[in-house]
Amino acid sequence: MEPDDSEHAEINRYEYSGIEERHGIIPAWLIAVFTVLGVWMVYYLVRFWRPA
Amino acid sequence: MSSVAERPADAFVDRTVVLRFLLSGAFWLVFAPTIGVILSIKFNFYDFLGGVPWLTWGRLRPVHVMGVVFGAFTTTIFGLTYYMVPRLCGVRMYKESWSRAIFWLWNLGFTAALISLPLGQNLGIEAGEFPTWANVLVEIVFVMITIQVIMTIARRREKLIYVTLWYLTAAYVWTVFNYAFGHFLLPFHFAGVNNAAMHGLYIHYVVGLWITPAGLAVIYYFLPLAAQRPLYSHKLSLIGFWSLAFFYPFVGTHHYIYSPIPYWTQTIAIVASMMLIIPVWTVIQNFYGTMVGNWRRFQQSYTAKFLVIGALFYLLGCFQGSTEALREVQRLTHFTDFVIAHSHLTVFGTFILWVTAGLYYVIPRLSGRELYSRKLAQWHYWLTIGGFSVMAGVLTLQGLLQGEMLQSGADFVESMVAMKPYWFTRTLAGVTMDIGAILGMWNLYMTAVGGRALAKSPAHAPEPRWA
Repeated sequence: MEPDDSEHAEINRYEYSGIEERHGIIPAWLIAVFTVLGVWMVYYLVRFWRPA
Repeated sequence: MSSVAERPADAFVDRTVVLRFLLSGAFWLVFAPTIGVILSIKFNFYDFLGGVPWLTWGRLRPVHVMGVVFGAFTTTIFGLTYYMVPRLCGVRMYKESWSRAIFWLWNLGFTAALISLPLGQNLGIEAGEFPTWANVLVEIVFVMITIQVIMTIARRREKLIYVTLWYLTAAYVWTVFNYAFGHFLLPFHFAGVNNAAMHGLYIHYVVGLWITPAGLAVIYYFLPLAAQRPLYSHKLSLIGFWSLAFFYPFVGTHHYIYSPIPYWTQTIAIVASMMLIIPVWTVIQNFYGTMVGNWRRFQQSYTAKFLVIGALFYLLGCFQGSTEALREVQRLTHFTDFVIAHSHLTVFGTFILWVTAGLYYVIPRLSGRELYSRKLAQWHYWLTIGGFSVMAGVLTLQGLLQGEMLQSGADFVESMVAMKPYWFTRTLAGVTMDIGAILGMWNLYMTAVGGRALAKSPAHAPEPRWA
């Protein structure tokens, strides 16, 4: 879970609020979900644009 | 320019305005769900309060819906906006003198509008039921706060714009337009099926372009502070924000699957609903990734507790909502309590819990006092989570049962009679949640007025425990 690459671990500091955030990563499992949903979206739009 | 060390961030905040808004929000957080409990009793005892016209189902339900959306949630968001925006920008709120006028305009106007509903005034648009005179007031308030937020960000001293500010700005700008659309155009300029389709868009814009981004602004702000950890990923924040902005505007017509609305618009709504899995799972990864490494804060902080459990309900409720839009699932669940389970999982289970977390964070710190009673906070938490889990579970289950009965040819009345034990359980769960809310809000009120002081000056007070 922890982003360990130095660029990813770089931190933005918001000095007035005290909040910090990592540049962070996009986990591989989420990229896989995005891909599957993208493919499904195209299929569903084409298949169900009009009633069968 | 004074340095951060010389000038604590709370010095940018108008304490009086924030506390007034948050305490009035706390009142609505008890009042609006209580109306929901009264309504749920009517499912069990059909003639309960039925002899009084202004306490009948048709007049009280809008009070519950509008009370939760615009009283409990929105009033608290206004208070949290006046807390978060100056601290994120490093400057005081633009036109700060407006804020006190807005407080009275909002609360008095909203109270009058809410009273008008049981008296029989109603525009007839679900979640947009206030009479026109009240809508003018609400619109003015939204426009004024939007100007304050945008101008404060424009005059900020903080170099970067944190994700909370993206969501808040978007939420306010979208709502200025959507509120005008839903109340000044929709009831008067669209008829028939077009009116239904546009209403589907309006009501989902209230949820997806006001409640959702404003709620996400809250958790993005308070979770890193409560967890005492950096936010997991700025990149995920970007994906979550832009995918919500791209997909949500198309979702609304999924309320009208199998209706005379053109088939292709229904298909777009279904696809957009499913694609909302992207922003939801993205922000969930961001939230739980932030907690990793400091889960003890979940035990120590009531802010963290309400945020994390709210995030879990967000995941469940949104997955339910996405899949519910699919034609096969819709066939089973439409016109059943499954839909009510979804709306409660998202609006109460997620966003009301998140703003409640905001109350637990801000009230002790701004008033410079310890949380009045940890025991009351504990009761609030467990009664809310326990009661709500039962309510969400029962509503989901009975929705599926109703759908199954209707699909297998059962008579509608027969399906209603079969729901009696479930409705009774739902009422008990609602009463449990309501007791929790009363204890919690009393605790927060007492914190503001009678909690043990942390230091002479609230601005320099140490961190309160448990908050």
